[in-house]
Amino acid sequence: MIQTSTGLVGNSFKLGYRFQRYWDTSMAIAFFSAEVGTGLFLVSFYFDLLSGMILGLAITGTLKPYFHLAHMGVPDRSWRAILRPDRSWISRGAISIGLLIGFGALHIINRSFGLEATLGLPAAAGQAIAYLAVAGALVVMCYQGMAMSDSEAFTLWASPLVPVASFCYALTAGVLATLAVGWGVLSEGQRATLSTVALTMLLIDLAVVLGILLHARGKSKGGAFSVELLVRGEFAASFRNQVVILGLVLPVALLAVAGSVRLVELFALLAMLIGFFFFRTLMFKAAVFEPITHDLAGSIGLPSAR
Amino acid sequence: MAKLGMVFDLKACIGCNACVVACKQENSVPDGVFFTRTLSHEYGEYPGVKRVYIPTICNQCEDAPCEKVCPSGATYTRADGIVMVDDQKCIGCSSCAVACPYDMRTMLTKDALTTGLFGTGELTPFEQQGYGRYTAGTAVKCDFCSERVDAGLKPACVATCPTDARIFGDLDDPNSAPSVMIRERNGRQPLPEKNTKPKVYYVD
Repeated sequence: MIQTSTGLVGNSFKLGYRFQRYWDTSMAIAFFSAEVGTGLFLVSFYFDLLSGMILGLAITGTLKPYFHLAHMGVPDRSWRAILRPDRSWISRGAISIGLLIGFGALHIINRSFGLEATLGLPAAAGQAIAYLAVAGALVVMCYQGMAMSDSEAFTLWASPLVPVASFCYALTAGVLATLAVGWGVLSEGQRATLSTVALTMLLIDLAVVLGILLHARGKSKGGAFSVELLVRGEFAASFRNQVVILGLVLPVALLAVAGSVRLVELFALLAMLIGFFFFRTLMFKAAVFEPITHDLAGSIGLPSAR
Repeated sequence: MAKLGMVFDLKACIGCNACVVACKQENSVPDGVFFTRTLSHEYGEYPGVKRVYIPTICNQCEDAPCEKVCPSGATYTRADGIVMVDDQKCIGCSSCAVACPYDMRTMLTKDALTTGLFGTGELTPFEQQGYGRYTAGTAVKCDFCSERVDAGLKPACVATCPTDARIFGDLDDPNSAPSVMIRERNGRQPLPEKNTKPKVYYVD
């Protein structure tokens, strides 16, 4: 009988699956903070909540660059990251973050003091600045997922649902964080709307996460291997407890049962953020390189990939 | 212009790893980093157990995903098809490393260039003469020994292989050794479903 399993082989000279090990916790924090901060900015922008916009920009503008630069091998050359927007999602993202921070800050200045009084810019420029800030925010909410799904190396990532997950998680975090930041400022009607959107988004997040797993499992053996790691393997407990139960099911239950209580909203936000962070780290950890021999398999008697 | 590529003859490879050592010598590759490997795999049941050796190397893909995702333009393809990394442009973002389906890139840490083979922080004379070519934090990979190729020589791994399991040449020339071998022995590319068009083939 031919042996049909090739397990994880680490950095050895054995044939088998190898963990993705290039994007680590530092990158996960960078992704996470960019998405949470930008989600908060965008939702606060919609509700014209100044404190939310400032906090959102502060998170995206500090934590994201810090942890991204900490990950880079040669951080003093990081400016070069903007040179290939025609082909690289990293470049597009870096430019979008610049757009978001720059025009987002201008929008806050405009809303607080007026552009004409502070910078001598015509008041009509305010609208264009707001649109550019929102455009930057929308790209930042998606581009990290696009950078991941662009990689054919890992079946777990190579799914159109990965950028969708980035956007949905960012929006969910933004909605819940806006509820927390806007306490006492937002009207009852706005709070009810945000609570309903948060509940809906959490359910959508759950569906998207399941969709990513199903897509990966059906696409290749490497994808199925990653899913196995998340569902039954060494990351199963973390995925089940932190990502699904704490990050998605608990906030849904809290919001559905006692959504209008502030403490409950804060718990829901905290639980969701923990779950989101674990989702980010586990997506990096569970990605595996496939053995290169799948398509040579038949000829040399090795197990086939599909 | 030539389209340089390589063929691995799986029937000829004996897993001696002379290619790995030759690569280390030629490129002064730091400890723990490999530009080429000879993977082994055992299969079957006693008494019919078999072991195969599968050499791996950067596939110098025609549609190189590492080049596409590089945000700084550090990764580029030469006219002869060799995919190169300009370490003076590389920012060490590791996008290329996660884009390569073959796991053929390595991010060179500072420790790799300073720890030394014996882990004492002192570099051996061999390391001292060789590490000047590397920049800490950047991506490194096989470039078919481009300096040797430019001098009209074969890559070190090809030149040293005792069984001629590595065949190097111009894939655009239908009469070159690798082209003939691919044609006559049904050469196959690794993970063709990734659509990277590798210029490395396997025959058995």
